[in-house]
Amino acid sequence: MKEIMHKLLKIDRRYLFVLLTLSILIPIIKPLGLPNKSISKDVQNLYNFIDNLPAGSTIICSLDYDPSTAPELHPQATAIVKHAFKKNIKVIVVTFIPGSTGLIDELFEKIPQQYGKKYGEDYVIFPYMANIVAVLTQMNSNIYSIYDKDKDGKDLKSMPIMKGINNYKNISGIVNITGTAILDIWVAYVGDKFGVPVLGGVTAISQVGYGPYLQKGQIKGLLGGMKGAAEYETLINEPGKGTSGIDALNVAHLLVLALIIMSNLILVIFK
Amino acid sequence: MKLFKKQIPLAIVFVFGLVTLASYYVPHRTSEEYLDVMNSWENIVSAFGFFLGLISLFYAHYNKIKRKVDGWGYSLFVYIGFLLMVIPAVYSNGKQINPDASITWLGWAYRYIYNPLQATMFSILAFYIISTAYRSFRIKSLQAFVLFVAAFILILGRIPVGQMIWDQLFGFTKVTTGQAIDWVIGVPSTAGKRGIMIGVAIGAIVTSLKIIFGIERQYMGKD
Repeated sequence: MKEIMHKLLKIDRRYLFVLLTLSILIPIIKPLGLPNKSISKDVQNLYNFIDNLPAGSTIICSLDYDPSTAPELHPQATAIVKHAFKKNIKVIVVTFIPGSTGLIDELFEKIPQQYGKKYGEDYVIFPYMANIVAVLTQMNSNIYSIYDKDKDGKDLKSMPIMKGINNYKNISGIVNITGTAILDIWVAYVGDKFGVPVLGGVTAISQVGYGPYLQKGQIKGLLGGMKGAAEYETLINEPGKGTSGIDALNVAHLLVLALIIMSNLILVIFK
Repeated sequence: MKLFKKQIPLAIVFVFGLVTLASYYVPHRTSEEYLDVMNSWENIVSAFGFFLGLISLFYAHYNKIKRKVDGWGYSLFVYIGFLLMVIPAVYSNGKQINPDASITWLGWAYRYIYNPLQATMFSILAFYIISTAYRSFRIKSLQAFVLFVAAFILILGRIPVGQMIWDQLFGFTKVTTGQAIDWVIGVPSTAGKRGIMIGVAIGAIVTSLKIIFGIERQYMGKD
């Protein structure tokens, strides 16, 4: 028995890979359909912030993620944009990650039509910019000194959505969805310095690191990983890829825990 | 030569370092205009830096191919990957979607080459995690046990089925997974993270001051 157990400990890793693949694939093919019961405080705060903005307000959505973190972050961005459109909030999209431009195009391909929103009136997409610190600082004095055209080269100043928008004073809030440290930069260079409310959406793995900012109110609300997206979808009553994705993660997460417990129990019992 | 190689660069760093630092705290129009000019300069220098990096990358991989070092075949993919994205980008004039809402060559390359490649690279991590969790995560010390408990709470709290298990096992405590996660993130994790952040910030301030005052000169090279 002891020998078998020790052999089990040294099992070929490819068997584990097959187990993981099945644990993700099966719930995708046949969803468990478990309801997401809890809503975390930070997700609720983000929802409340957007929900309480008066219609016609303008927010900046900084969508800074590429395909590697898209499964977690794209559903977050989708849910927030949907909520903003529902509340008739204008959305300005910026990005500082070159790999996110295609995802932004995908995001705005269908959602605006669902809510009857028009490009240039209800939302606008700014082009990718490098050197984020310089851009964020410059946007405070005059947005047009850094962004004079949209992503397609159209003049920004002449668009109805930009009427009355010159700098951060005309912005009600900033929502940064990112798998990088860009949220820290928004907090330090815009939130803290110019007093614009900053909210965020990050990967589950980096969510834990934002505790200090949340406690001090430097970040007003935060979505963490696919769970955060699923919670937000529950709040806006629009189940999407966050809700279906968290279903697929159920078994995979449990598998990780089970394997840790199993390997340690084998070591303790069959020393 | 010393004047051009040492004293003038040091003077530039000293003057612009101090003025830029001060301008962060001075909410005056002149200060903001100064920052705008500096930001424009920074953007221009960054663009040159990017171009320099690209040339350096190509040169390094060209040498690998030329010398046929181990794994030189992978270096070919640096050029192949670059061309696969840049040629469609130039052809499509940098646009991913046409005015009639169809996707351009660049849009196609992004969706069907770049997107799946990036997603695959990141997905492979999950397989490493599962293998490491089974073969290497050994609870042999108090610290390892604390780490496991934190991981246990966070993993269970992230999934609906975990919340159900939690309710079954710890329902009698009247503590929900959400509350347990909030405590882990809000108390021990934040305390540790805050300590690290303060340490990093102090380190960054000290290094910046050393550069501004010319004590730290490694950025100037060896000459």
